[in-house]
Amino acid sequence: MNHLPVLLVALYLAAALGLPLLGRNKKFPAGLFAVGVAGCGLILAAASAWHVAGTGTYSYFPGGHQAPLGIEITIDWVTVFLHLTINLLAVLVLIYSTADLSRELGGGRAKTWYYSLFFLLLAALNGIVMAFDLFNIFVFTEIGTIAACALVAIRPKRLCVEAAFKYLVLSALGSGMVLLGIGLLYMVTGYLNIGAMAQALPKAFAMYPWNVLVALSLFVIGLGTKAALFPLHVWLPDAHSSAPTPSSAALSGLVIKVYAVAMARIIFQAYGAELFSRIPVPDVILVFSTAGIFAGSVLAIGQTDIKRMLAYSSVAQIGYIFLGFALVTMNGIVGGILHIFCHAVMKSLLFLAAGAIIFKTGIRKIEDLAGMGYRMPLTMAAFSIGALSMVGIPGFSGFISKYYLAFGALAADRPVYVAVILLSSLLNAVYFFPIVVRAFFGHKEKQMTWDRLPWAMTVPMVVLAALTVILGILPGGLVRIAELAAGAWLN
Amino acid sequence: MNSVYNYLPLWATLFPVLATVPLFFVERRSAKIRDVFAQAVTGITLLLVALMYPYVRDHGVIGVSYPGILPPFGISFRADILGFMLALIAAAVWFLATVYSKVYIGHEGGGNRYYPFLLLSLGGCLGVFLTGDFFSLFVFFELMSLASYVLVVHEESDAAIAAGYKYLILTLIGGLALFFGIVIAFEVAGNVDIAPGNLLFAEPNRLSFIAFLAFLVGFGMKMGIFPMHVWLPDAHPVAPSPASALLSGVMLKTGAYGMIRVVYNVYGPELIAAAGWDTILLVLAGITIFLGSAVAIAQTDIKRRLAYSSIGQMGYVLLGIALLTENGLTGTTFHIFSHAMMKSTLFLAAGAIIFKTGTRKIKEMAGIGFKMPVTLGCFTLAALAMIGIPPLNGFISKLILSMGALDAGKPAFVFLLILSSLMNGIYYLPIIISAFFGVKKEERKWSRAFSELKPSMWIPIAVLAASCLVFGLLPINLPLKWAQIAAKALLGAGN
Amino acid sequence: MIAKLISNMHFLTAMVLFLIGFHTMLTHSNLIKKVMGMNIMETGIFLFFISVGYVRGGSSPIAVPGAEGYINPLPSALILTGIVVSVSLTAFALALIVKLYNYYGTVDADKIMQLRGGEE
Repeated sequence: MNHLPVLLVALYLAAALGLPLLGRNKKFPAGLFAVGVAGCGLILAAASAWHVAGTGTYSYFPGGHQAPLGIEITIDWVTVFLHLTINLLAVLVLIYSTADLSRELGGGRAKTWYYSLFFLLLAALNGIVMAFDLFNIFVFTEIGTIAACALVAIRPKRLCVEAAFKYLVLSALGSGMVLLGIGLLYMVTGYLNIGAMAQALPKAFAMYPWNVLVALSLFVIGLGTKAALFPLHVWLPDAHSSAPTPSSAALSGLVIKVYAVAMARIIFQAYGAELFSRIPVPDVILVFSTAGIFAGSVLAIGQTDIKRMLAYSSVAQIGYIFLGFALVTMNGIVGGILHIFCHAVMKSLLFLAAGAIIFKTGIRKIEDLAGMGYRMPLTMAAFSIGALSMVGIPGFSGFISKYYLAFGALAADRPVYVAVILLSSLLNAVYFFPIVVRAFFGHKEKQMTWDRLPWAMTVPMVVLAALTVILGILPGGLVRIAELAAGAWLN
Repeated sequence: MNSVYNYLPLWATLFPVLATVPLFFVERRSAKIRDVFAQAVTGITLLLVALMYPYVRDHGVIGVSYPGILPPFGISFRADILGFMLALIAAAVWFLATVYSKVYIGHEGGGNRYYPFLLLSLGGCLGVFLTGDFFSLFVFFELMSLASYVLVVHEESDAAIAAGYKYLILTLIGGLALFFGIVIAFEVAGNVDIAPGNLLFAEPNRLSFIAFLAFLVGFGMKMGIFPMHVWLPDAHPVAPSPASALLSGVMLKTGAYGMIRVVYNVYGPELIAAAGWDTILLVLAGITIFLGSAVAIAQTDIKRRLAYSSIGQMGYVLLGIALLTENGLTGTTFHIFSHAMMKSTLFLAAGAIIFKTGTRKIKEMAGIGFKMPVTLGCFTLAALAMIGIPPLNGFISKLILSMGALDAGKPAFVFLLILSSLMNGIYYLPIIISAFFGVKKEERKWSRAFSELKPSMWIPIAVLAASCLVFGLLPINLPLKWAQIAAKALLGAGN
Repeated sequence: MIAKLISNMHFLTAMVLFLIGFHTMLTHSNLIKKVMGMNIMETGIFLFFISVGYVRGGSSPIAVPGAEGYINPLPSALILTGIVVSVSLTAFALALIVKLYNYYGTVDADKIMQLRGGEE
């Protein structure tokens, strides 16, 4: 049972390599295969979670070489939480993609390539969240970057290629900084393993404070670029809005969060909450995440394209996650971790619903969405649930993470951040509610028609909407996992 | 305590919410079944609420809690005499409004959307009155606010959409402020339960003041207290009349109920008085009373006039809360009841006039009293109660409020009440006078009584109007008794 | 001071290379130059990493009798991976540039922005 998480990465890597070969056969059902593989991945992740729940968290050493000489892989609650999130979302997004991709990518073998890249991305994401040494984090990050850029560029439109290039250049800059940071830390501690580094760092900090601090800022900037922490988000709106819809959902829902988790892992587990709080880096992150929350929301209000609006909203939402982490209080981190899941679910839901509207009607302009509630009632209902959750209406999952964040801010004795969270909820309402209102009210035509979407598009939306509501009312289990995960980071 | 009756508050709240699911399937088949179904649901809800009475009377409090839902607060249901009384008012007015809606909405259309949201907002409203902690209250508060948004924009005219947007955003601000207050209270006290003696704040410091302001904005927004009233005169008139009656007659009271709980259960009258925060409330109440009544005079649209009148009346309610005396609190609670009856009558009657004649302008209503004698009779009765003519119920609430103001040593507010009654007279009497005496003698021809409207429309109006009279006259005035018990219990909680 | 700088020349060079690359990547509008800047930046990092493991006068880390000190092999091994990553990034970036040239007929980022105009 200990091998499950590693098998997960191996499974995706094998699928990524195997798909192009299998796809040579023209009749090969790539979509079905992809859903099947992701389904296996979800089962593996669930089994691993079950195992961890039964026997507790553990470290895994590939090849049996113990740390710090060997490579350490940690299976803690953060890993479990993220694995579940990633693989659950992957299954749903892949189901959706089987119906959507032919329109977005055209015919030919592009679909096979797409799935291959998608699995490469999944392998990287699953790898990043369980890697416990800096260099592995770096390597998986790079795999993820290339795969994510390719998932944007694969759509045969010039905008996508341009957006992907921008994404690639900024990501490469970020990677360079991360690698330099790793080098600086290795120089003063002699370790790459996070656990060993955590023990060596206080002493190293006393001797070479500049190395340690510069490395920290390089990590924050480098991973912050990849996670679209304001003001390093400039690549995100183009990349996430122009990508094919399943990519948008995965990129906004999962990829940026995983980099945030990687950053948090380095900060909390290598540096330790104590060392981290002794220097004003949390304050800096708090300021930037607050700026991101407001800037993302304000920019989203000004958008006319629905996918672009959702992309800008992601900039704001990633701010919440960083805000929670940077509060360095139990509830704040719980809120941040919860928001990773909640935002993954609701933003994917919103992107999929927007994609379904584009799929069916070709409408991307927000102003043309008036009366859409009558043309595509199911899709708009799903969109509305996602929007209400984004605003933080009680009964929807987005509310849960927000109130944990609010508690975190109060526990950190910074009530001003409670106000930030509440104000930004209002800003969310300003750009989400008009869409919902205009879709259902004030339209002359009252003829109600059914969506008539392929079931592969309907099912993921319904599941995600149901998850948003169910977890909004009964978030107990989710909260418990998040609390366990946050506990590991704070100690 | 673990008897089936403890679950009554839960069922009364959830029943209308859950009933929307079968309603959703029923309404596609036939409009007739839909109407009957909605009436049956509200009727059963009223029954469920009424069933609580013997147990609330004997035990004081009934309820259950579910800490597992939405941790760390949990959801809990609880009914004491105050909550029960308001829930009963809400359920009763809702039932009558639903009966009234049959013809009104049947004429306007869009019933398939109207009824589910009518039931949802009933569930939310009952939830506010029947929960045992502020967090659950907040959840149901939001449910009610969002569901009633659909009622506000029902007509989908440009004005309705604009008013609805204003309503939505301001309600949201109120909800967020309320949430802010609750989070602070939870952080300070470790719980947000509504229970006697469970005061959440112990001292008037900066944090508790911020929380107080947050609560004031949150509940004041719903009550339509100056300066948070701006959405009310837009939103209430554009809604269909039965919904206006509910918005003005009942839903405003959720804010008042919240304020009562905040002042008497969260802070306690001693803390409020010691910190001097009652002055804030008194000043706001004074401005609200004066502003609501004064602006109402200038309105030409009958529903807008009624909406502004509601603002003034909610000022009375806030005044009673802020006086911190037993009579003040009794008066407030009784006025919540009276105003629910009077304002629902007025809105339903105004709706009937609009339904029949198609005009909303007051000056076009001359002589209407002869065409619609029953409606205008009820309207007159309720309007007189509003002005405070004895022996109607509005007089009693004003009398007790005045006594409360004297108890508190603030006779100025007695003058304000009288002034406002005068202003009420200025804006209500002309409607009545022109309705009955606005035309030449030869044109005054009585139409045959009761044929003016279908019974399902005039009976609810008549019942509500009669209650204005009955609860002013009756020797055993049950609502007044409940109000007194509730006031005693709330003040006892502070000691 | 100078002697210290000279003895740490490789670090200094690494930083200079990193900054040159960084600057090139951010300021040049020519996409090919951006990719070149990316490579220079990465070379700087590689040099830095290798220098961390370098021991003056040490021999290569192969067990031969009579060797005094070894050069730390770990950074070299890591940088091997790093170079692979860098090569694949470069290859991918160049492939994207080819596609961009096909679509827009230029490799200048500013011109592409102009051509893009208000497209969504």
